[in-house]
Amino acid sequence: MKSKTRLERLAAALGVVSLMTLGGAIKASAEDVVLHMAVPDWPPTRIMKDMFDKEYKSTSGNKVTLDLDFIPWPDFYTRVNASLTSGEKKYNMAVSDSQWLGAFIEGGYFRKINDLIDADPDLKKAMGEMHPAVLNAYATYPYTSKNFYGFPQFPDILVSYARKDIFCNDEEQKNFKAKYNKKLPCTGEEFDDVDWQLFENIGAFFMRKKGDMLAGKPADADFYGIAFQVGKGYDFSTTSVHTFVWQAGGNIWDETKVPDGHAVGVVNSDVAVKALDHMLSLIKYMPPLAKTGTMDIFKSDELFRAGKVALNVNWIGLAEASLDPKMSQVADKLVFGQPPATRGADGKLARWSQIGGQPFVLTTWNTDLINKEAIGFVKWWLSKDVQMEYASKGGQSAMKSVYTDPKYDTFRPWNRAWAPGLDWQKDMWHIPQFFEILTQQQDQYDLAITGKQDGKTTLDNVAKFQENLLKEAGLIK
Amino acid sequence: MTSTAVQTHPPVFTTVAPDDWKTLAPDNWKLAIVVGLGVSVIACIALPAAISFWIVAAMVAMVAGAFSVNAYRRRYYGGLLVSPAIAVLFVMNIFPLLWSLGLSFFAYQSNQQTIRFVGLGNYVKVLTSELAGGDVWHALNNTALFVVLTVVAQMTTGFLLAMLFAKQFPLRRYLLILVLTPMMLSVVAAGVFFSYYYDPTFGLLSYFMRVFSGNQFILMDNKVGAVAGIVFADAWMWSPFVMLLVLAGLVSVPKYLYEAAAIDRVSSWRRFWTITFPYIRGLLMLALLFRTIEAFKMADLVYILTRGGNDTLTISYHLIRIANEQNKTSEGAAISYVMLFIVIVLTNLYLYIANRRSVEN
Repeated sequence: MKSKTRLERLAAALGVVSLMTLGGAIKASAEDVVLHMAVPDWPPTRIMKDMFDKEYKSTSGNKVTLDLDFIPWPDFYTRVNASLTSGEKKYNMAVSDSQWLGAFIEGGYFRKINDLIDADPDLKKAMGEMHPAVLNAYATYPYTSKNFYGFPQFPDILVSYARKDIFCNDEEQKNFKAKYNKKLPCTGEEFDDVDWQLFENIGAFFMRKKGDMLAGKPADADFYGIAFQVGKGYDFSTTSVHTFVWQAGGNIWDETKVPDGHAVGVVNSDVAVKALDHMLSLIKYMPPLAKTGTMDIFKSDELFRAGKVALNVNWIGLAEASLDPKMSQVADKLVFGQPPATRGADGKLARWSQIGGQPFVLTTWNTDLINKEAIGFVKWWLSKDVQMEYASKGGQSAMKSVYTDPKYDTFRPWNRAWAPGLDWQKDMWHIPQFFEILTQQQDQYDLAITGKQDGKTTLDNVAKFQENLLKEAGLIK
Repeated sequence: MTSTAVQTHPPVFTTVAPDDWKTLAPDNWKLAIVVGLGVSVIACIALPAAISFWIVAAMVAMVAGAFSVNAYRRRYYGGLLVSPAIAVLFVMNIFPLLWSLGLSFFAYQSNQQTIRFVGLGNYVKVLTSELAGGDVWHALNNTALFVVLTVVAQMTTGFLLAMLFAKQFPLRRYLLILVLTPMMLSVVAAGVFFSYYYDPTFGLLSYFMRVFSGNQFILMDNKVGAVAGIVFADAWMWSPFVMLLVLAGLVSVPKYLYEAAAIDRVSSWRRFWTITFPYIRGLLMLALLFRTIEAFKMADLVYILTRGGNDTLTISYHLIRIANEQNKTSEGAAISYVMLFIVIVLTNLYLYIANRRSVEN
């Protein structure tokens, strides 16, 4: 009897200890995990943070916090580059421009994600749904290979922003018809059909001095026909030049043809020179800032929102502010369409364009736990419901099931240009030498834009530099 | 008698006799150096960089400690008092200088994990190669242009302002504060201010010029305008600095000299050259030296106003692009040393001229 009581007491004690241990284990398994991420400070990342904070719960039971380091766009590359190369290992994830992939993958900073995608059927399905142009640009290195490194965070393309109040004005319509024997575009569909010739006509037509009549009223300041990025900073003029060259049938140095592809003869081909000259010929219809070589995407956006420009070509990522009456004098007067394109002899439009937007990537020093939670977050982010909600708040999605949803086009006025535009996107180089190529090219384009050298000399200099540099790097035989 | 009265400090590093360097003692700096070097070399070879870094740091601290104890025991308190300043100078200034000098002899990029000794290869590349050398020389030419123009503008404006503020007139004190304000602003704030000031669409300059020409005024669509815009912004910021220095010289001129000159009916030009100028010459040379060195390093205003466009790329901005954007650390270090060499030559030239004038007088 006595021994039985002892046994019962021992069993009870063991039971209590077991329960405590189990409880402790459960408590220990729920951890606080913080995902530190470097992101550019603009609406697409602000919206993501807001949605995460309000809605995200990790399926693992861990308490996951998303700590975003919002960095202004002009400093974004410098800050991320400095953080990665300094070895501080501050970020678990980062939004990265697609061009940076090669430099940071070769440096050992960005983690290959094939194993993570293969291990998760949901993620694999989501990535399989991505538009190939976006997937190739944002995820692959070498470009178009099957090695994946990035998940789409905010895909972006160029669209036309236009002043409906001016373009749809009867008097302007009549005068334009009389002058060019063409219909001045007014609806989104009509802007989709704008080719470069019509774009140039629009540019020339809407050049008005202060006091000239504009849409039935005297203009209160000088007014300009067109605007697009031709700035010295980062990749602003490069984006426009590539778009003109691709549409004309030319090419940039093709990294998928390593080591047989050359820069000389391609970059400075007659077609490319003609395309650059064409782009340069349009600058005279832009606000005078363009002639100083500082017309970047922010300046053209600012000028358009201040009501100084009739038609602006810019990224969707900056469009949200144009609809906000607090930040835009033209908020209630806008129509959006696909950007201008080159009309072929068959009448069809070639719409090739430099892709924008960014993927986010994982860094190589993450622990398994961090990677697990990061993948959990990415899966949530790339789920249809979340992508739909993101689009409804002003974001974009490259997932087919999302952008083909009938509701998608109703979220924002530019969304109708999104799906057709995706098929025409190409990207610049992803190689580690991209920044050297880019800065030299930007320097040369600036000389052409500010009128110091002609298009041929410019592209000859670019081609020669790229040929020498890429030969030295072993990328050209 | 005199010789015995003079107190001489014993040499600071000789507490431990030369043959006792193996003795384990807290002031044995010789042993500390031997042990520190040995352990550091072994740690660097055998351990990962993240660990060996801290071991080397501990060894440096140990050697510094041995020196300090030695100095304390020798009652070399002067040395002890300045040692923190020397330590900071070493860590913040001398060590990075030596480190970057070392780097300039290697092929190293901060975003890659390899390093290779190339001797003077980086110097040859940045000064002579077709890929890199052309940009460096071009940027150096632009920099020379900016140095001459900005320094002349600042010295002239600063000097004239100082002459003005050396006199007494109503509201002088308040105007002086107003004139000094640009110097207190950050360069970024001034740069953004001038980018809007020069803007052809929104800018005040274009607005005023329109009154005369009837058209918008585009200052920065050519090299002359872009350089003028940058020089004006820089002079606006830094002329007050020159003014402050010159003003300090002007107010230090004894009044009786002017009174004596007035009695002798000396012309104002002669009064300036014989009385005023000798008092401000040293300060003018100092202002010239400071502003030349600063102008040589100009990058921020160029970055904000033109991004190096319109052929305004300076050597400092070029260096930022090479080292920070393109991650070519070693090539950047070589350019830095070329810049340092030029600055040292310029500085010594100034000092030589200044000293020669002093001797002549």
